[in-house]
Amino acid sequence: MTLQGILTVAEQEFTIRIRAGRWRWLLGAWFGVLALVAALIRLATQTVNGGKALDKGVVVYGGLTLLVLGLALLVVPTLSAQSVNGDRERGTLATLQVTRLTAGDIALGKFAAAWGTSLVFLALSLPPVLYAMTQGGVPFGRVVVVTVVVSLLLGSVIAISLFLSSALRRTTTSGVLAYLVVFALTVGTTVTFVLALALSTEHYVQTVPGFCPDQPVTTPCPTETLTGQRARPDRVWWLLAPNPFVILADAAPQLPPETAQERQRRLALEQRGVNVSNLRDSDPLGGLGRAVRGAHKSPGSSTGSPVWPWGLGFDVLVGAGALWLTARRLRTPTRDLPLGQRVA
Amino acid sequence: MDGVVAHGVRRSFGPVEAVRGIDLTARPGEVTALVGPNGAGKTTLLLVLATLLVPDAGTVSVAGFDPVTQADEVRARMGWAPDVFGLYDNLTCREYLEFCGRAMKLAHYEARAAELLAQARLAEKADLPVHTLSRGQKQRLGLMRALVHSPSVLLLDEPASGLDPRSRVELRELLRLLAAQGCAVIVSSHLLADLEELADTVVFVDQGVTVGEHRLDALPAPALRTWRVRALTTPPLLKALKGTDHDQPTAAGVDVRLPSDEAAADLLAMLVGKGVRVVSCQPVGGQLEATYLELTQ
Repeated sequence: MTLQGILTVAEQEFTIRIRAGRWRWLLGAWFGVLALVAALIRLATQTVNGGKALDKGVVVYGGLTLLVLGLALLVVPTLSAQSVNGDRERGTLATLQVTRLTAGDIALGKFAAAWGTSLVFLALSLPPVLYAMTQGGVPFGRVVVVTVVVSLLLGSVIAISLFLSSALRRTTTSGVLAYLVVFALTVGTTVTFVLALALSTEHYVQTVPGFCPDQPVTTPCPTETLTGQRARPDRVWWLLAPNPFVILADAAPQLPPETAQERQRRLALEQRGVNVSNLRDSDPLGGLGRAVRGAHKSPGSSTGSPVWPWGLGFDVLVGAGALWLTARRLRTPTRDLPLGQRVA
Repeated sequence: MDGVVAHGVRRSFGPVEAVRGIDLTARPGEVTALVGPNGAGKTTLLLVLATLLVPDAGTVSVAGFDPVTQADEVRARMGWAPDVFGLYDNLTCREYLEFCGRAMKLAHYEARAAELLAQARLAEKADLPVHTLSRGQKQRLGLMRALVHSPSVLLLDEPASGLDPRSRVELRELLRLLAAQGCAVIVSSHLLADLEELADTVVFVDQGVTVGEHRLDALPAPALRTWRVRALTTPPLLKALKGTDHDQPTAAGVDVRLPSDEAAADLLAMLVGKGVRVVSCQPVGGQLEATYLELTQ
């Protein structure tokens, strides 16, 4: 496997991809939708509770980011889910396999082309993001982290889809399965978590200090025993971890607290009778992130711990494993051939 | 030895035994024809030689290397053109060949692509998308892909299918030229008349086994060969042919099966002697076809 080989395949795939579809229209529509949504959120936050809203960028950016991730998850399976078996159907895979390119070159080259395409989509979301930043409250660090996390998540989904295309004979089957993977990662993890949370409910017995206001302080007050039911999210939080939205929200750095300067500005406005809302408190990413961390804590502790390192680690590892398996399936000469699959 | 040596190759797909013991030798500088009915295992054997399939048993050497354990060494020296293949429709001919050259790690892939385009008479189409090519032109482009790295072993699976007569002649000339340059060429084909003018050696396979390997100039004489006799008027001919193994007359003449050239000469003399006005008397199909029909029942 060489960088040269990977680049040869990637460049070729990229060229074919760009010439094949109506990319200009697709990319234009993508950009248009994002710009429109950014503008609509901005308009919706023009006034909040009949008063002035501060840091509107937080909501514009949060909404935009979740939308970008959601739409991108719908787009990326198509970039690789028919890559290998499609080539097989068109009769172009075997002629590639008898060249001096290795199976790794082909797998990584195809992955690089698809991932690169998804990054083009991501790059097109940057102008609306920059606009959101001008609306206040969005730290630069958050944009960097979110962009990196989204690219890694898209890469994982692309790698899994690529593996499906190498493992399944029919392009329609691998296409549908790739979407099911996205569904499982998003809706599936959430539903499983909610169901598991119900199952995790336990009966608890807790002794608490008693309350005896009438007794003298010197006499020890007998303790009381409380019993009840409680859910144990700390036991099932990991079911939610691979969810791309959870990872994204949790990985996004929390917003800094209000500075003294900002506080003064707010108070000055309020003194003039203006109803001020700081939209930092309505941060979509931060809210989701805090909720998820709340699940990842033991009943005793007050603060939750981050979920995203586990989730992102899991997704990226699965993606890397999928790439490795793809390369294995592309290796020739072949010993075992799935029933009905042609070599060439 | 360079070239291709395959011995006792076996390969099955699940319960189907596609190749059950094929032996084949293809020497450098020669064209070796691989001939047999559909499903005889020709394509499977070529896939084994082309480093795509691991044989279940047998020994194989391509250009002096083992296609299973030394696939890269084989690929650097072997060109393979399958019977059915795809081209990247959105690339131009030039881009396609340049990509193939890069995949073969050629340093001067641009020059090589231009050279091959000229050789395939596709120079005018060089910058047009591949999907604008005719079937024969695509076939030629596919062949050029297999030649991009100047291989010393060339494996062609039905290269002439879909080619017009002129292209077939050109293909024949190209393959002869490559052989003359020292390439070991293996051609699987059903076009026996073409092969007769092209091949040095012919390997017959049937139901997954080699049933004969012959130099073309020393083909075993078939037991019976069909001769077609045509006369000005058919009834006297049929009358004279009474007692011989012959078919119903057609517009082309009457087919008679004869054991040897001597028998044919005798028959002709007899017909002329009996006053039948014979216009022509010639063997039907080449000798290769006759041998093929005999070996693959």
